[in-house]
Amino acid sequence: MLSTFLDHQWKAFWRSKNKGGTIATQLLIGFIVLYLLGVAFFLGIGLEGFIAQVFPKKDVFEVYNGFILYYFAIDFMMRIQLQDLPTLAIVPYLHLKIPKRKIVNFLNVSALFSAFNVLPLFLLLPFCATAISEISGPLASVMYVIAIFSLMIFNNYAALYIKRLSIQNLKLVPIVLLIIVGFGLLEYFKVFSIAAISNTVFSFVADHPFSALGFTIIAVLMFIANSRYLRSNLYVEELSSNKVEKASTDYPFLDRFGKVGTLVALEIKLILRNKRSRSAVTMSSLLLFYGFLFYKKEALDKDQFNLMVFAAVFMTGNTISIYGQFMFGWQAAHFDGLMANKIDIKDFIRAKFLLFTLFSTLITLLTCLYGFISWKILLIQFAAYFYNIGIGTIIVLFFATRNCKAIDVSKSATFNYQGVGASQWILGIPYFLCPFLIFLPFSLSGHPYPGLLALGLCGLAAFLTRGFWVDFLVKEFYKRKYKIAAGFREKS
Amino acid sequence: MILEISNLKKIYGDRTVVHIESLEINSGETVGIVGNNGAGKTTMFRMVLDLIRPSEGEIRSKGELVDRHDGWKDYTASYLDEGFLIDYLTAEEYFMFIAGLHQMTAADVTDFLLQFEDFFNGEIMKKGKYIRDFSKGNQNKIGIAAALMQNPELLILDEPFANLDPTTQIRLKTLIRSLKAERKMSTLISSHDLNHVTDVCDRIILMEKGLVIKDIRKTENTLSELEAYFAE
Repeated sequence: MLSTFLDHQWKAFWRSKNKGGTIATQLLIGFIVLYLLGVAFFLGIGLEGFIAQVFPKKDVFEVYNGFILYYFAIDFMMRIQLQDLPTLAIVPYLHLKIPKRKIVNFLNVSALFSAFNVLPLFLLLPFCATAISEISGPLASVMYVIAIFSLMIFNNYAALYIKRLSIQNLKLVPIVLLIIVGFGLLEYFKVFSIAAISNTVFSFVADHPFSALGFTIIAVLMFIANSRYLRSNLYVEELSSNKVEKASTDYPFLDRFGKVGTLVALEIKLILRNKRSRSAVTMSSLLLFYGFLFYKKEALDKDQFNLMVFAAVFMTGNTISIYGQFMFGWQAAHFDGLMANKIDIKDFIRAKFLLFTLFSTLITLLTCLYGFISWKILLIQFAAYFYNIGIGTIIVLFFATRNCKAIDVSKSATFNYQGVGASQWILGIPYFLCPFLIFLPFSLSGHPYPGLLALGLCGLAAFLTRGFWVDFLVKEFYKRKYKIAAGFREKS
Repeated sequence: MILEISNLKKIYGDRTVVHIESLEINSGETVGIVGNNGAGKTTMFRMVLDLIRPSEGEIRSKGELVDRHDGWKDYTASYLDEGFLIDYLTAEEYFMFIAGLHQMTAADVTDFLLQFEDFFNGEIMKKGKYIRDFSKGNQNKIGIAAALMQNPELLILDEPFANLDPTTQIRLKTLIRSLKAERKMSTLISSHDLNHVTDVCDRIILMEKGLVIKDIRKTENTLSELEAYFAE
């Protein structure tokens, strides 16, 4: 039975309409995955030498032992965020003559097929086979492997268990996250150290190998708890959705924009109420921390802004480029309705401009906090802001009129390449090249400040001539309207 | 005359899915379009609504080409399928959104929806659900009500009786009849339910493989005539 289920899953994966379209996209994703696994593998094999290089003064084993629990703590957080619950796959089987036990087994086994369960094998196990078996003997080496395996299994089911519980009780997720953040802070302020605990625990395992079975016991307990929960709650309704009253909302501040404002309100609701759009926008807000990587004191003192211009354009415009690259595919499901209704396409395009401007303004205000590092950052960011709302939006919308791929908004955004096509790959080039075309001539000739001014002014000029660009985009839109509508109807 | 179709063709590859030499819909008429799957009903509707580009021919609404002008959107309301609904809105929000497009106020909407209380049967309003969480039948009701709310002169419904329970089917028929009596509304309805469509329409168009085979005024023989055709 289990093999039949897995066979179906396998087919579902390969026959899925949303598998990511073009072969080129799939090849690229395949290469990225292979590359990452390769890196993990070589990192794993070379871990001994690698640790010795990075922490020359420390004992290799101490670092490795300290790293294990650390890895699994981060792994756990990532799983809570990213691992999907394999739930809906069971719907077609529930009403058939299949015992619940088998369905639960299927859910449990299929949960193991996750990248999170592959990575530690590459990253952590080679060290056990080499260094640990040399020093502590083969038995300890085997028990290390068992311990790491058990931890992985424990994490797998614990994350799923918490996610399932949180569907029933929404308050759980913030509580769990708070606990994790609390641990993180305690670690940061050196109240206690996960690394030290991890080191103690695994040194103990090295000395008394059979104690590793303790991990196996908790993993098995977690597995049983998860199975029990599933068996008693095997209703798709309870496993996959939560019944919170949905309320109607208004955004009064958008009223002053008339019909354009109504359309913007519609799209804000789209973003907030659908999984994929919501995660796309949340992810892009994580990129706000990019500044810490790029805004370097030395470069600021020397007025070397090149990389910072990139970072600033990227940060203040990330929602425009990340959300905008799939435009108008977000609205694919009801695109026919929009077109058949009394909506002026001019308003439709204007609404996109307004939405982008609001996005970018909000984010720019947030990034102003970087101004505490240096006032120069503010200059760079405002130049980038004007570029984004002036020129960036036009580039994104121009490409949007060439995108006929629907987006399934109900799916999660992580590792989701549904709806990705050529226009997404190409879009980034003009978007991020354009600011440099304006800025570099000035900066290379030693005038970074006039360069920033030029960048800002170009953006402002495009912003002030928006009426012209709206007309231009409306024309472009009409040229491909039927193609876009037909593409969206196919649900890719 | 509210709608005028001449020499309309839609060709996919080498297959002609719609070929209509000439078809005129007068204002105030209720026209039923029947035909088996693949007859081209929905494709024709989509072309009338300017969602698909015709391969040949033209469609005029009140004399204006629908693919050149937007004027028809002022007086045309339609509901073809769930693709017309914005599924992440609550029913109330969706009605407000549609009303806003036609300069109707919140009070207008409440007022209008009063006459829909029977039709909705207490299953639509104030349910605290997004449209995507409603059953198909109830989604259908929302779409139809939103279309009627726009006070259209031309109403286009694709299989409105499908997915509705018997009571609602009968209520929908009464509604269409009473709206027709109140104002001069032309209606295009496609349906697989010959009983309903002959009941409510005063003209029946029979399509097969993209062609208009029959175009008849309704008489008491129409139903048996149609049944005879489909039984063949």
